[in-house]
This record gives sequence, structure tokens and C-alpha cells, in this order.
Amino acid sequence: MEKNSFWSPYVSGIGLGLTLLATFYVIGKGLGASSAFSIVSAVAAQKIDPEYAGSLKYFSRYLGGGSPLRDWIVFELIGLFIGALTGALAGRSFGLKLDRPSHMTGGMRIFTALTGGVLLGFAARLARGCTSGVALTGGAQMALAGWVFVMAMFVSGFIFAALFRRLWS
Amino acid sequence: MNAPLYEYGLFGEGTGLIVAVVIGFFFGLFLERGGLGNPHKLTGVFYLTDFAVPKAMFTAILVASSGLYLLGDLKLLDMTRLWIVPTFFWPQLVGGALFGLGYLVAGYCPGTAVAALASGRLDALVTMVGMVAGSLLFAVVYPAVENFYQTSGMGAATLPDLLGVSHWAVLAFVVVMAAGMFYSMERYERKAR
Repeated sequence: MEKNSFWSPYVSGIGLGLTLLATFYVIGKGLGASSAFSIVSAVAAQKIDPEYAGSLKYFSRYLGGGSPLRDWIVFELIGLFIGALTGALAGRSFGLKLDRPSHMTGGMRIFTALTGGVLLGFAARLARGCTSGVALTGGAQMALAGWVFVMAMFVSGFIFAALFRRLWS
Repeated sequence: MNAPLYEYGLFGEGTGLIVAVVIGFFFGLFLERGGLGNPHKLTGVFYLTDFAVPKAMFTAILVASSGLYLLGDLKLLDMTRLWIVPTFFWPQLVGGALFGLGYLVAGYCPGTAVAALASGRLDALVTMVGMVAGSLLFAVVYPAVENFYQTSGMGAATLPDLLGVSHWAVLAFVVVMAAGMFYSMERYERKAR
């Protein structure tokens, strides 16, 4: 039931492309996502141990002054959440669940969701962005960064999917 | 020419944050409606079972890119004031590969995880916690990776600049490539069904 309620990926892609174009026109930057998690990480570290957080050179870019959460990407993600919630409710695809392949236990899914998340968080910092900020934005700008990232991501995904055949299929 | 609007001071930072929420709204709506909050669809590409991700992604890139070049050529948008994603070749190659593994294991990427949580998927919340931890891990080991992080910096390198050809030529090439890819994917999906 859920499968058929989605829009064609081409329609969704046109919508995403126009959203990205509007971002270029209005803001002069592209879309993003991963740095919001890095900002939250820096703010949380500062709350728990200000001295240690202050000693982390990488986080100094967020903790320099003012309120780090008053950031464009953080607000964009709040909007993303509201937009996706609207879509899920309107399309009747909303449902509380732990989404996993049928053969996977709940505990195993929490493990894969968490370790995958740690890898994503680390990798996005190393690459200076993620699928939104580097692949989509950089790709549309024909920036070398975007195309290097996209190719590396897909090649790696295909190789590891061949190694871990039972992960999702 | 007075765009990018924010760069030309048409509104301040506070309004910018409201604009961010509005833009994010459409970003999330199109992701979710395209099925990109669903980890089975998101990882389907790697198992050749569902090509929603590359279809939506390359369509979005082509739409945004042609719009951007059109606005630039018609002098409706000042391309010199546009922030271009900076290239750091090796860190982005290695980071992209590591990211591909994380995306496969988690079933999400950062933006789609938020869309997935909004559709009720609690495992996406776990992935988001993981991303916060992964960012912290990067900050902690940063002194050891800083040299690598800063290598092969190429600034705002774009394919048209590097190849010395017009941006429309590069775009035309990508259109042909994407068209071929879309055609193969449709054929493959029809056969598999």
C-alpha cells in the first residue's frame, strides 16, 4: 500500500531541483544537512564538558561566539522535518516503527542504525558535507567536489552491498 | 541583477532563518513524497532493486544546474556571489567512500534520516544520534587527520573550468549520461518485475 502512494522519483527530483535552485537564487548557497549534526554535537559537548569542548580545534568553528544553533542549516532541517511530516501524513505513509529488513532483529537494527550513523557523521565531516551539501549542491554547480563524492559514494555502496548481501535484501 | 537576494542584502539574518524553514519544508516534502524517507528504497540502488535515489538525485541536479546556468547567463543571478562547494579531492574521495558504507549500513543519509524520522521511523532517530557521535569522533581525532583533511585543496574548481569548455557543453554531456542511465534503469526494473 505504502509503495504505491509515493510520487515518481522524477517528479520528486524536479521538486528537489527547483528547491535547490530557489536556494541558490535566494540565499546564494546550496542545501545542506550534515553540519547541523556537527553543530548539535559541539553544543552538546560544550554543555557536558565546556573545557574539553573548548579544547577541540574542529569545534571552534561553531563555538566561537553567539548561539551556534541559530544557524541556517539547523533551521533548514527543522523545515525539512515539518515538510516530510506533512508529506507522510498527507500521503498516509506515516507509521511509528523500527524499519528493518524482515530477517533482522530489532537489536541488530539498532546496532546497524547507530554504527551507520557514526560512519555517516564522521565521513561527512571529512568530506565537508553529505548527499545534500556536497553531492546535490556541488553536483548542480558542476563542482568537482560533488562529482568526486557521488562517484565514491556509489562505488563504495555497490562494493559493500556485494559483501553484505543480506544486510537489506 | 540583484540575486542572490541574501547576498545583496534584501533581507537580514532573522528573515534568512525563516526562509531556511520554508526551503527546508519543500526539501523534506519532496524527499518524503519521492519515497526517500524509506530505507528499503534508499538502499535499493545498491542491490539493483530500486533506483529511486539516482533517478531523483540526477533529475534534481539537472534541473537545478540548467536553472542556475540560465539565470547566470541571463544576468539574473550574480554567479560571482554564489558560494561554490570547495573541492578537496582526496578527503572527499575517501570521505565519500566511507559515507557510502555508512549510508548502506544505516539505510539513510543525514537529510533522509530526518525525513524518515518525520514519517515515524524510530531507527532513523538512532542514526541521527550516531551522526552526532560520529561528528564528535571526528572532532576528537581531528589533530591526527587535519593534514589529510587539508590536502588537495582546489578551491571552487568546477568541471567547465577544469576542462576549459562551456558549462552548457558539460551539462549536455551530463544530460546524455543521465538519459542513458535512466533508460537502462527503467528497462532493468521492467525486466526484474
